Amino acid sequence: MVGKRKHTSGARWIITAVAVAGALVAAGCGSSGGTSTTPSSTSGTKAPSTAAVSTSQCGTKAGATATGTPIPLGVIVTNQPGTSFTDISNMAAAYFACVNANGGIKGHPIKYYIETEQTNPAQIAADAKQLVQTDHVVGIVGNTSIIECSIDSSYWQKLGYDIIDSGIAPECWSTPNSAAVNMGPRYSSDGAVQYALSQHVSKIVFDQSNVPGTGYIAAGPAALAGAAHVPITQLTENVPISDADSVAIKEVDDAGPNGAVILNFTPPEALVILQAAQKLGLEDRVKLWGCSTPCDTDFLATSLGPKWNSKLFVNAELTPADGTNTHTMNLYRAILAQYGKAVSGGIGSFSQFGFVEAEVAVKALETITGPYTVASVSAAFKAVTNFDTGMLCQKWTYGNYSLHIPNNEDYTVTPDNGKMVTAQGCTQISSVDPQIKAYRNVAGVATADPTAG
Amino acid sequence: MPSWQDFQPFIVSGLALGGVYALSGVGMVVLYQATGVVYLAFGAVGAMGALIAWSLINDAHAPGWVGWLVCVAFSAVVTLGYGMVFGRALAKRDPLIKAVATLGLTLVLFGLMDLLWTTSGGESRAITLPTDGGGFTIGQVQVDWTQVIGLGAGIVITVVTGAFLRYTKLGTAMRAMANDREITATLGVPVRRVEAAAWLGCGVLAGVAGVLLADLVALDATTLTFLVISSLAAALIARLRSITLTFAAAILIGLVHDLLTPITSLTNYRDMTPFVLAAVALLVLSRSRVLSRSREEM
Amino acid sequence: MVGTAVATARPGQRSPLLKPGTGTLVRAGVAAALLLFALFGLPQLLSLYYIDSMTQVAVWSMAALGLGVLVGRVGLVSLGQVAVLAIGAWVAARLLFATSQPYPLVLLEAGLITMLIGTLIGLPALRLRGLYLALITLMLAGAITVVLATANFPNGGHGFFGYNGSLVNIPPIRRPGVAGSDPAYFRYAVVVAAVMFLLVLVHIRTRPGRAWAAIRQSEPSALAAGINTWFYKLWALALASFITGVAGGVLAGADHYLYSIDFPTYYSITLLAVVLMGGAYSLWGAIVAGLLWQLLPSVLQTWGVSADWLTILFGVGVLQVLTTAPAGLADQVPKDLARLGRLLRRLARRGAPARVARGG
Repeated sequence: MVGKRKHTSGARWIITAVAVAGALVAAGCGSSGGTSTTPSSTSGTKAPSTAAVSTSQCGTKAGATATGTPIPLGVIVTNQPGTSFTDISNMAAAYFACVNANGGIKGHPIKYYIETEQTNPAQIAADAKQLVQTDHVVGIVGNTSIIECSIDSSYWQKLGYDIIDSGIAPECWSTPNSAAVNMGPRYSSDGAVQYALSQHVSKIVFDQSNVPGTGYIAAGPAALAGAAHVPITQLTENVPISDADSVAIKEVDDAGPNGAVILNFTPPEALVILQAAQKLGLEDRVKLWGCSTPCDTDFLATSLGPKWNSKLFVNAELTPADGTNTHTMNLYRAILAQYGKAVSGGIGSFSQFGFVEAEVAVKALETITGPYTVASVSAAFKAVTNFDTGMLCQKWTYGNYSLHIPNNEDYTVTPDNGKMVTAQGCTQISSVDPQIKAYRNVAGVATADPTAG
Repeated sequence: MPSWQDFQPFIVSGLALGGVYALSGVGMVVLYQATGVVYLAFGAVGAMGALIAWSLINDAHAPGWVGWLVCVAFSAVVTLGYGMVFGRALAKRDPLIKAVATLGLTLVLFGLMDLLWTTSGGESRAITLPTDGGGFTIGQVQVDWTQVIGLGAGIVITVVTGAFLRYTKLGTAMRAMANDREITATLGVPVRRVEAAAWLGCGVLAGVAGVLLADLVALDATTLTFLVISSLAAALIARLRSITLTFAAAILIGLVHDLLTPITSLTNYRDMTPFVLAAVALLVLSRSRVLSRSREEM
Repeated sequence: MVGTAVATARPGQRSPLLKPGTGTLVRAGVAAALLLFALFGLPQLLSLYYIDSMTQVAVWSMAALGLGVLVGRVGLVSLGQVAVLAIGAWVAARLLFATSQPYPLVLLEAGLITMLIGTLIGLPALRLRGLYLALITLMLAGAITVVLATANFPNGGHGFFGYNGSLVNIPPIRRPGVAGSDPAYFRYAVVVAAVMFLLVLVHIRTRPGRAWAAIRQSEPSALAAGINTWFYKLWALALASFITGVAGGVLAGADHYLYSIDFPTYYSITLLAVVLMGGAYSLWGAIVAGLLWQLLPSVLQTWGVSADWLTILFGVGVLQVLTTAPAGLADQVPKDLARLGRLLRRLARRGAPARVARGG
C-alpha cells in the first residue's frame, strides 16, 4: 500500500498544473465578464452617466493628493462561497481613495484596512483584534457580516469604538455602539409585511432563510401582524435551497387566495423560490408576494418576467441605482467608474451601501479639529445628525443612544416589465415593532413625520 | 395532518426532485461499476460546466445550445483527464482511496468556482431552458415542463445506460471489468480503452446533469457541488450496484422529502431524508459480515 | 507481521511504555520543549490575532488527532468528524449555560457524552467496511447537520435545547475563571490538547495500539490471531469521539458564540484532506493538520490572498498524498530532510560536486 511512484509523479504533477492553469484560462476567458453582470443591469451594462459631476467633488481640495499622517480605519466583511459582501468594503475603499486624491481629511489620507471572514466566530474575533492591536485603527466603517455584530459588540464597546455598519445580526441595531445605514432583515421584513397589511390581506406567510437570528427577525412581522389581527405563519428554510418547488407550493397553500407570502432571503435564494412559483403558475394563487430589500434588483425584475408586475412588492431603501440623476447618484457612479475597479458587482445596492457609509464617515471625520483618536473619531461619528445621504429615504443620525435604528423608513417597489418601479413612496416602519418603538422613544423621533419621496 | 388534496402537488414536485437525484446517482453508479471509483466530484464538475455555460450565454452572448454543449464538453474533458491521470495512478488501490481522491478534485473545483464566479455583488445567476414557463394540469395540480424534464431525464438516462451496459459490447466489457479487472484483461478486453470510455461517459453525464440541475435546482456552486451527497444516498441504497435500484431509490427519496413538506412538525427535518434512508438501508437491511476487501462486498 | 504483534504481548514482559529507548527519549524531549515554547514563548511573540488562530489550531489539532486515530491507526475513514465536533460543542455550550460547573468537569462531560453518542451512532456502522463505512459516516454527518440547523446551538435560552431565537443581545459562552483572556485561554487549550495527545500515545504504546496495528494490516489475520477486532474498533471509535468531544468543548469557550452554519457537512471532507496531508499515522501529523487548516488561512488573510486558494491547495494536497506520499507531510518532510542531510554530508566529505544520489 505504500507505493512510491516517483518516476511518473513528476509528469503527473506537470499535467495537473497545466490542467488547472488551462481551466483557469478557459474559465477566465468565459467569465471575465461574469463579474460585470450586475444585479441591476442585465440589459447590457449601463454606461455610467457621463460625469456631470467630477469625482473631485468627493473631497475638499480637488486634485490635491493627501500626504499627511494617515488616518487608519478598519472593516470586517464576510467573504465565503455563496455570500460575499466585499463590494461594500471595496466601494468604501474607492470613496476613500477618491478623497485621498482630492485633499484627504484636512490633508490626511485615509488608510482602510479590510479584513474578510468566513462566518467563523473565532476568526471574526481575531480580525477585530488585528484591526485594533496591529493596524491601530481609530474607526470602524462598513462592517457587513452575518454574525460580526454579535461577536464583537462587547469588544467594540469595551474599547470605545462607535462603528458605522450595514448590519445583519441583531446587535447591529440593539447596542449603543453600532449604527447601521441599512434597515437589516427584521425592519426590512417589517416594511414588506406592512405593505401587505395595507393591501388588506387576510393571512401572512413569512418565510426566511435559516441563518442566525431567525427568531429576532420573525418577531417584527409577528408584532405587526398581531396588531392588525391578521394570522401569520412563520417558516424557515435551510439554505441553499435544493427543492424550491416544494417550498413555493407550501407557502402558497398556507397563505391561501387572499393571503400574502413574504420572503426574507438573499437574492439567489429568493430568485429560486420565485422562479419555482412562476414555473408552477403559482404567482396568482395568493393576493400578493412580498420580499425584503435583498430582492430589490433589476436583475430579479428581468428574470421574473411580466407575470409579477404589481404582484411582487419589494421593500426598498436605497435610491434606484440606475437612471436617477441627482448629484449624489452621479458622484456615486463617477467614483465607481474611476476608483471602483475592485467592485465586481458594479452598480447596485451593495456598492451603494459602501458609498453611504464612507460618505457619512468622511463627513464626520472632516469635523474633527484635534488629533484623530478612537475617542475623537467615535465622538465625531456619534455627532452625525440629520445627514442627507442622498440615497436613503430619511436623514441619517447616529446619536448617543442605547440602540440605533437610524434607517427606519422605506419605500416599496414592484417589477414592471424588467425594471423595478415605485409602488409606494417612503413610509415609516410602524412603531408596532417594539424595537422601533424603543428607538423612537430614545431618539425623540416623532412618528408622524411627513416624508420626502 | 394535511389532507390528500394538500399532498398532491408535492407528489409531482417529489417525482421531479427524485429525477434530479437520479441524474447524478446513475452517473456515479455506472462509473463505479466500471472502474471502482465513486466519483464524488460529479456535482462539482457539472457545476463548473454550468457556470462556464452561463458565462458564455450571458457575457459572450452565445446561443443557449452552444453553452450547454460547452458544459458537457468541459465535464467530459475534466473527468476523462482525471480518469487518465489519477484514475490510472490509483487503479490498484482500495475503492476507499479512489473515492477520497475524487474528493481532492472536488475541493480544487470548488475553490476555483468561488474564485472565478464571485458573489460579491449579490449576483444571482440563473440558467433557463426553453421549456421553462410552460406546463399542463393534472386534476388540481399544475405540472411544469421542466419538472417533466427532471423526471424524464432521470428515466431516460437510467434506461439508456442500462441498455448500453447490457446490450452493447462496450457495456458488457464495463460490466466484466466491474466484476474482476484482472481476469477481464487476460481475456483480451482492451481494459484501458474501456476504462477511458467509462470515464468519458460519466463526464458527459455529469455535464448533462449540470445543465439540468442548474435549471431545476439553482446555479450555485455550493448547492450543485454538494447535491451529490444526496444523490449518493440513492446510489448507496442500491449498494452501488444496480442502476434501476438507484433510480427507484432516488424517486423514493424525492417523494418522501417533498411529501414531508406540508407536515408542520417534520418539515424542518425533511432535508434529512436522503441521509436517513441511506443509513437505514445500509445499516438495517444489510446483515452480512463480509470481511473480504473486494469490490463485491455488501 | 501479525504474529510479531501478538507475540509481544507475552505475559511477564514489560510493556514498551515502561522501557523507552533513546529515540523515544529524544522525541519526548523535543515534544516537551515545543510544548513549553507554545505555552510560554508564543503568547509573548504573537499578536492577539495570531494567538486566536493558534487557539483554533489547538482545537482542530485535537479533532485531527481523533480522525487520525481512526484513519491512521485502524484504517477506518470517517467523513463525519466535524459533526461529532459540533455535538461536543453543543453539549459543552448547554452545560456551560445551564450549570456553573468548573470548566474541566464540563470538558470531561462533553467528551464522555460525545463518546456515548458517537459510539451509539457508529456502532451499527462498524459492520461496514472501507468505502461503505466512509460513505455512511458522510450520510450520518449530513443528518446531524440538518438536526443541528433546526435545533440550533444553545445561546442561553431555556428548555432542553437552550435556544432562544428572539434574543437581541446574545450572551457569550463563558470561559474558565483562570483563562478568560485570549492568551490565557490559548494556554488552556494547549494544555488540554497535550493531555489528549498523551492519552492517544498511551493507547498506541499499549495493547489497543498493537491490536489496531494488526487490524490495519489485515483484519482477517487479526481475527485469526485471536484479536477481538470488533471490540478494538469500537474502542478506537470511542476514543476518537471522546477526544473530538473535548475539542468541541474547548471550541465553545474559544468562540464564545456557536452557530450551525460553522459546521457544514463539507468541512468533514476538508478535515480529512488536511489529516491526510499532515499524515494520519503520526501524532505530529495532527498538529500539521491543525496548522494547515487554521493558521494558514490567517496568514493568507494578512497577505490579502483569498481563502479559496487554500481550498484548492487542500484538494491538490489530497491528490498528492494519495498518489505519492501516503504517510503525509509529517512522514515525508523528515524523510526529505534526512535525504537532504545525507546529500549535504556527501558533498561535504567529497568537497566537490557530488554525483546525484540515486534513490534514497
